[in-house]
Amino acid sequence: MLNTFATRALIKLELARALRNRKFLFFSVIYPSALFLLIAGNADSKTKIDGTGLTLPTYMMVSMASFGALTAVLMGNSERIAKERESGWVRQLRLTTLPGRGYVLAKTASAAVVSLPSIIIVFVVAAAVKDVRLDAWQWLALTGAIWAGSLVFAALGVAIGYLASGDAVRPITMITYFGLSMLGGLWMPTTTFPQWLQDIAKWLPTHAYAALGRSIEQSQTPAAQDIAILAVFFVLFAGGAAWLYRKDTLKA
Amino acid sequence: MVGMTMTAATTSTTPVVGFDQVSKTYGSVRAVDGLSLQLYPGETVALLGPNGAGKSTTLDLLLGLKQADGGTVNVFGTSPREAIVAGRVGAMLQSGGLMDEVTVTELVRLACDLHPKPYKVADVLARAGISQIADRKVNKLSGGQAQRVRFALATAGDSDLIVLDEPTTGMDVSARQAFWATMRDQADQGRTVLFATHYLEEADAIADRVLVLHRGRLLADGTAAEIKAKAGARRISFDLEGAIDEAPLRGLPFLATIDISGQTVRIQSTDADATVHALYGLGVYPRNLEVAGLGLEQAFVAITEAEEAKQSC
Repeated sequence: MLNTFATRALIKLELARALRNRKFLFFSVIYPSALFLLIAGNADSKTKIDGTGLTLPTYMMVSMASFGALTAVLMGNSERIAKERESGWVRQLRLTTLPGRGYVLAKTASAAVVSLPSIIIVFVVAAAVKDVRLDAWQWLALTGAIWAGSLVFAALGVAIGYLASGDAVRPITMITYFGLSMLGGLWMPTTTFPQWLQDIAKWLPTHAYAALGRSIEQSQTPAAQDIAILAVFFVLFAGGAAWLYRKDTLKA
Repeated sequence: MVGMTMTAATTSTTPVVGFDQVSKTYGSVRAVDGLSLQLYPGETVALLGPNGAGKSTTLDLLLGLKQADGGTVNVFGTSPREAIVAGRVGAMLQSGGLMDEVTVTELVRLACDLHPKPYKVADVLARAGISQIADRKVNKLSGGQAQRVRFALATAGDSDLIVLDEPTTGMDVSARQAFWATMRDQADQGRTVLFATHYLEEADAIADRVLVLHRGRLLADGTAAEIKAKAGARRISFDLEGAIDEAPLRGLPFLATIDISGQTVRIQSTDADATVHALYGLGVYPRNLEVAGLGLEQAFVAITEAEEAKQSC
């Protein structure tokens, strides 16, 4: 009872802080929409992407919404956790009633609150500027799927935050972030990749993540393989994060 | 030392904190080595020792931030974590980083929200003397101001035990004095206060009991006055000509140790002035007289060695 209250208090403050951080807001909320306009800007609404039956703007809308959510949860968790672990703030919090998991939960929750507008703004821009039209249920399902799917990357962010420290955390986060974004086909369809790269890309969680959204756009049931990939990565990242967290707690 | 423990034991039999044969090793370094101690309700206790004596490790063990390799740590009869969750312990860490990009008020409000028996935010700010900087961002504070914010976090609620690890680090003299005045208020409300310091003067001014830690062991446990007398030990050395009559020399007042080899006499005294005065009273003519201070650590080591030697006789 109290512990939920404690966690909520931290979420509230984490959130206030995230909303005050202009750089973070720009990269997670504005940047994906801007990138969408840049990529889909000159595309007409007729050309279809190979093998999907989706127009370029429709296709890129899911990619960029996924990319925005990924940015918010991955960046929000990894660097901050690493930094606060080092400064001793995490230790100070362990001297309060906040349960151990509460810290990670608060970080993830506040990141998730930022990722929601990032998804919705991409949708609004796509609908208003590039005339993307979907059914009401599709809009809702898309929002829900992309938002929920971002938890996989939130767990990854926590794991990186507890794995890396000091100067190492930023490069590790950036390589993971750009690697997953590009290879997973969030910036350009993987169908433009050479075959060998496509074979690698289809196993990446980001690829499965975007495929989930596209299947909703195509009014299809999501592929079992994509759901399985996301589930396996979630278990892997969350398990790794939990293990690293416990190790850090014993060491501190 | 015995007297202090007795007084405390008669006022209450339940210790606030109990260490029983606690050890903590890092690699080959024994940071805490078979430490046993008890703190009783209402005491203001200083944990005194040089850097590397094991003060921070002791506090970390007390707060459950580290797990002991051996022995047991008890806080209010429970584990440290349980005592913290029950809101009985407020603590301020030496290197306690703060959440940045938030204001002082926001951070203190969080601390109040996280405490089971919180005080009003405005009161906590006022008591820690940070009402004027309440709207400032935490990452824009000076070292001394940040220490006060940490103190506010430690006193956000009605805790029974306040633990402070070198709380005045980074404060100038006047800030230090103001801080200890605030601290004394906490003690006056009947709280048990435990603070680590390497300044004997701080321990003397604030604490009614001083624990001296050296290489992870408890070297001395007594009132500040007792400890001060011990730590005030000085080394006296001089030469005497002719045959030395040892008995009167050994009878000099305030001797901790005496060593006579050849014509040279070396004395450690807890009151060098009185010892030297008495020395001249013996009618001898000491040559090459030297009186030098002992460092805190050295003084304690010398005194413990002397006591151990006495016991083994």
